[in-house]
Amino acid sequence: MVVVTLQRQKCIGCNYCVEMAPGQFRMSKKDGKAVLLNSKEKKGFYTLKSHDNSIFDPCLQAQKACPVHIITAKIL
Amino acid sequence: MTMSGKIELMAPAGNFESLQAALDNGADSVYFGVEQLNMRARASMNFTIDDLPEIVNRCNKKVVRTYLTLNTIIYDHDLSIIRTLIDAARKANVTAIIAMDQAVIAYARQVGMEVHISTQINITNIETVRFYSMFADTMVMSRELSLRQVKKICDQIEKDKIKGPSGNLVEVEIFGHGALCMAVSGKCYLSLHSHNSSANRGACKQNCRKKYTVVDQESGFEIELDNEYMMSPKDLCTLDFLDQVIDTGAKVLKIEGRGRAPEYVATVIKTYREAIDAYYDNSYSAEKVEGWMKDLEKVYNRGFWSGYYLGQKLGEWSEGSGSHATQKKVYVGKGAHYFPKPGIGEFKIEAYDIKVGDRILVTGPTTGVKEFDLEELMVNDEKSEIATKGDSCTIPLDFRLRLSDKLYKIVKV
Repeated sequence: MVVVTLQRQKCIGCNYCVEMAPGQFRMSKKDGKAVLLNSKEKKGFYTLKSHDNSIFDPCLQAQKACPVHIITAKIL
Repeated sequence: MTMSGKIELMAPAGNFESLQAALDNGADSVYFGVEQLNMRARASMNFTIDDLPEIVNRCNKKVVRTYLTLNTIIYDHDLSIIRTLIDAARKANVTAIIAMDQAVIAYARQVGMEVHISTQINITNIETVRFYSMFADTMVMSRELSLRQVKKICDQIEKDKIKGPSGNLVEVEIFGHGALCMAVSGKCYLSLHSHNSSANRGACKQNCRKKYTVVDQESGFEIELDNEYMMSPKDLCTLDFLDQVIDTGAKVLKIEGRGRAPEYVATVIKTYREAIDAYYDNSYSAEKVEGWMKDLEKVYNRGFWSGYYLGQKLGEWSEGSGSHATQKKVYVGKGAHYFPKPGIGEFKIEAYDIKVGDRILVTGPTTGVKEFDLEELMVNDEKSEIATKGDSCTIPLDFRLRLSDKLYKIVKV
């Protein structure tokens, strides 16, 4: 299973995660910050759990590209 | 420009502590960012859109103007938040928006918000001033201009009667003090290149502040450098030629430092306030400058130089990493209680000792920055010379202590 997290409040809206993993990230038109699709929020952390392992690589790329280090991608 | 005709002293505010420090030390205006779209998105994200009314409220009480920075590169997905921020600023009666992107300038003008042109636009000539006068009432000049060039632009604005949307002559703003960037007007790719972290989105990683070596790849020969901090400019300081700066005809003097500590804002604003006032009452002198420079050296700095204002062609690079300040603060404890009638504050000591004779610093979001010599202190209702970790101590104060206040002592470096 792939687990992706986003600490959304610290996002500076640079758009890199969308470039790396367009299937999992979008930029919100409302506040200009990243949205992790199909995620659940708990205390400011948005978590996506997926059985589709093919999303891991793009999400890891997003993690590496994020300038403020608010994305993590793990395979459990 | 201020009502009194003096050059306007514009202070940075990265948080409420710094804002209050600026207000208490004589700033005429303050600039600040909210949310992510400003040039200090990484350093000081502590103002939010909901803070705008409080910021404006505090500034209005002291008749201080408020400028919201919205000066990053803007992408399509930012357009909606830009509109939200400008609408909120307008509703909160923020004086003006500091803008770089045309999308920001266009929307601000559309809703009748005053616009100031950011340093990111890098204005270097009178025709650019004329162009932006269609949208903006105040424009900051490129930091790479000499004072002679700035004066020429100011003179030409008066001669040609170049007016902004308000109907008044366009006001020229000039950087007075603070960090400089190795890149022209902050337009730098270095941080994005190495860390994917764009300086132009307010997320600069400051790689330029590190030491570097230069190696000839062919021979492996390392070129000997006088100074390995080859990309880290010293801080700009105009205090010792402030008379020449004001004589250019610039109307606003901008102090850099939204990412710096509140005591930095307090010291720098206080010093420049005194210097500006001295200029106008003809008491600006070499002796005074000497005293002021000593004050400025106490707070964070990378060494000082005069920038490009006096015609210098090459930059001057800092001689070490971090600050060259002559003193620093160490955390001691926090505010616990305030007894308003006798005017006594109780502190909980959590780290270092304090003793009578120490220089004390108290900072907080409402308190701002208060610095004083510790003349007396009591521990457990008894007079004491020293308070140590774990103690609750009381100190007579001439200001109201709050639970959010932090107590520091100042030590020599």
